[in-house]
Amino acid sequence: MHDGRPLRFTASMTNLAQNIAAVLAPARERGGRLGLAWTTLARIGGVTLAVLIVGLFFEIRTHGQLLISDNILTILRGLSTTAIMGFGLTVVIVAAEIDLSFAAVYGLSTNIVAVLWLTHGFPIYVAILIAFVAAILVGVFNAFFTSVVKIPSFIATLGSSTLVFGLTLWIGQTQNLSYQYPPTGQTVAHGQVTFFRNLGSGALPGKFPEQGIWALVLLVVFSLLLTRTLFGFRLKAIGGSRAAAEVVRLPVKKYTFLAFAICACTACLAGLLDFSFVGTAGPNDGSVYLFPVFAAVIIGGASLAGGKGSAIGTMMGALLLAVLANGVALIAAGPFASQLLLGTVTVGAVVIDRLTSRQRSLT
Amino acid sequence: MTAAPGVSMRGVVKRYGDTVALNGLDLDAAPGEILGVAGPNGAGKSTMVKILAGEVPRDEGDIYVDGRPWSDEYGSNRVAVVHQEPQLFPNLTVAENVIAGFEDRGWQWPKLGEPHQALFAQLGIGRHRDRLVGELGLAVQQRTEIVRALARDARVMLFDEPNSALTPDESADFFRLIRQLAESGCVVMLISHRLTELAANSDRVAVILDGRCVRVLEGAERTPVNIAETLVRGLGGTPAGEGTAGGRSAAADASALELVELSDRLAAFRSLDFSVPRGAVTALIGVEGSGAREIVRACGGLRRVHGRILVDGREVRPAQLHRHVSYVAADRAASLFGNLSVGENLVIRMDREISRGALGLRPRRMRMIAERLRTEFQVKSASIDIGIRSLSGGNQQKVAIAAAVGAKPQVLVLEEPTRGVDISSKAEIYEILRGFAADGGTVLLFCTEVPEVYEVADRLHVVSDGRLSAPLEVAAFGDMEALAKGVAALETHGAALRSA
Repeated sequence: MHDGRPLRFTASMTNLAQNIAAVLAPARERGGRLGLAWTTLARIGGVTLAVLIVGLFFEIRTHGQLLISDNILTILRGLSTTAIMGFGLTVVIVAAEIDLSFAAVYGLSTNIVAVLWLTHGFPIYVAILIAFVAAILVGVFNAFFTSVVKIPSFIATLGSSTLVFGLTLWIGQTQNLSYQYPPTGQTVAHGQVTFFRNLGSGALPGKFPEQGIWALVLLVVFSLLLTRTLFGFRLKAIGGSRAAAEVVRLPVKKYTFLAFAICACTACLAGLLDFSFVGTAGPNDGSVYLFPVFAAVIIGGASLAGGKGSAIGTMMGALLLAVLANGVALIAAGPFASQLLLGTVTVGAVVIDRLTSRQRSLT
Repeated sequence: MTAAPGVSMRGVVKRYGDTVALNGLDLDAAPGEILGVAGPNGAGKSTMVKILAGEVPRDEGDIYVDGRPWSDEYGSNRVAVVHQEPQLFPNLTVAENVIAGFEDRGWQWPKLGEPHQALFAQLGIGRHRDRLVGELGLAVQQRTEIVRALARDARVMLFDEPNSALTPDESADFFRLIRQLAESGCVVMLISHRLTELAANSDRVAVILDGRCVRVLEGAERTPVNIAETLVRGLGGTPAGEGTAGGRSAAADASALELVELSDRLAAFRSLDFSVPRGAVTALIGVEGSGAREIVRACGGLRRVHGRILVDGREVRPAQLHRHVSYVAADRAASLFGNLSVGENLVIRMDREISRGALGLRPRRMRMIAERLRTEFQVKSASIDIGIRSLSGGNQQKVAIAAAVGAKPQVLVLEEPTRGVDISSKAEIYEILRGFAADGGTVLLFCTEVPEVYEVADRLHVVSDGRLSAPLEVAAFGDMEALAKGVAALETHGAALRSA
């Protein structure tokens, strides 16, 4: 009747458009864009409230310095690395697993790219590809020991985290490498430097941080993945009850592999974007992100028991941490203050979320 | 209000959001008697238990104990609940479970006292005392719970389907035990779906419908038929007890599911040859440990086996079995996802129906399918968006079965499909299974109760020692008594008759 291809293409595009519209307006039937945004925010009530409170506090303390546009863009850049890795971790946590190795994967990817590209003269494209392959292998390693050997993922990824860190030190020989100032005797093609710099720190109109674009695009991608795909639907079910997933014969193993691979890939991407922005790769890359990323995901409403979590929640969690870090820096309160506040806010946001969600789910 | 001894509830109301769980419940229970409580799932029995045990607060109404107002503290200290699904610590021993929370040795690792030892002996679980609860069968777990309640020196004892997993002999012992409890001055309430037992073992039977006590049957009135009639009249259905075995076609010929030389890796059964005909309901009946449950699970692809499984004549690997066979577990928690809504649970087994490829889930279509299944299978829920946990047990089971049928399998495999389900839901579930078979589907059940087999199955195999009897045609038995005798004969002389 019809020659399927173009038709199917348009159909899938309309479908995609519908899906995007559905994500951006998840409760259309309840009417009004505003009502919509409100229900979405209410769903992640605790963290929204915390962002508002913390934001308001620093806005007053800094006499309006927090919300000038330059600073807002700084905050956006600050949250993007946490958010990007947080999206991947959210996927793993929704499946009721834990990944402690993403921070190490971040470091592995920057070191692989730096060494292959800068000291061995590989083209940057090949180096990036190899970094992603390595990240996926770490994800497969985690998933294998979690779902096939059936070791708790906490243990499996604690082990793989250390393994990967060791590997990173070996590959990078514990040196710092910069692509603006390549090691002596090495030359790097100018085009490749431009390409790599443009990945994470390209010049955009209005000084808009490119990493922020990555974070916003991935927010949409992961929202779709978690709420509008069969993968997301079944992943939520698997995380909710492993026993029922076995009875209903959901593809638990396959999804565990995918979840860990996705998490490792987001860590790899975050590492490369930071490398592109900062310019150097070193042995300790990534290690500082372990706690903030976890905090962002948990603050964002994901449950370590599994079956619960959203990309927008994680984004809000990352936003809260970024506002906090930025605000503390602006009032120059000293390093202890940000740690004290981070701890307080992490517990506080989860408590508020618990209180607000108790009223929503009865019995 | 009343100075009478015992527990009096007056106009107790409990609401969960828009759902009214208790709607002005009036009920009296005196010490020395056993008060039976009957009611369909969702009638408010569990809510009543929770309120008395101080687990949830009531919204309105008064409760008196021996004429004095009831308090939360009294509820949590002197009211003991023995649950349908044991609520124990699987990682502690039986003895540790009994004393956990009531340790009396200060900071030391607790030890079992003398009086408790006697209780263990009384309930016949003394030899399991130092074993981990998680390793023991459901029957022993429930006895552990009973011991725990007794050890608490409770004044009010609520038994919520306490003997659903006990053998007939054990049940008889159990009822003697609660009679002794009642005579020693406890207020005893027995909540059960088994009407015969209720009638035989309680002094009065209260029937609860829609959150109210509609009738209390006493003396000669409390017969299973009267209880069933009260229950069913309130629900506007026909009693499930009136069998349909007569008008049943035995046109089942082609085998839809065949097991060839199938052996269980854990040796629950060995080189089994078994075929299940299409268009009929086939039941396996057998006591715990007979292998019947394991055979049914193997058909659901949930056990590691050697041998071949054929669906419609074609061999299917266990990993692919779920494309042809939908399996529903006995334990509802193992068939449903507590974090998903009713609607999501209804469509969780589908793939192509709700999604274009692996991406592109179709939310509107999911809702449509879920709404259709909810209506078709008469699931009582305010909407498909509410959490599955807010439904009553019977309705949860209907959701589990609806989801399995909705996946359009060739074969439907169920393990104890109506465990802990009220009689009106039971009747509806039987109707669903019969309808599925009538439409050309194949149904395989594991049952433990003859009435259930009589009610729903066309043919039956008795399983003992991992072996199947020759098939019995249910229609060939005139009534349930005859069928029960036939089953009992096969269970005792299973091996001998099998070869005949």
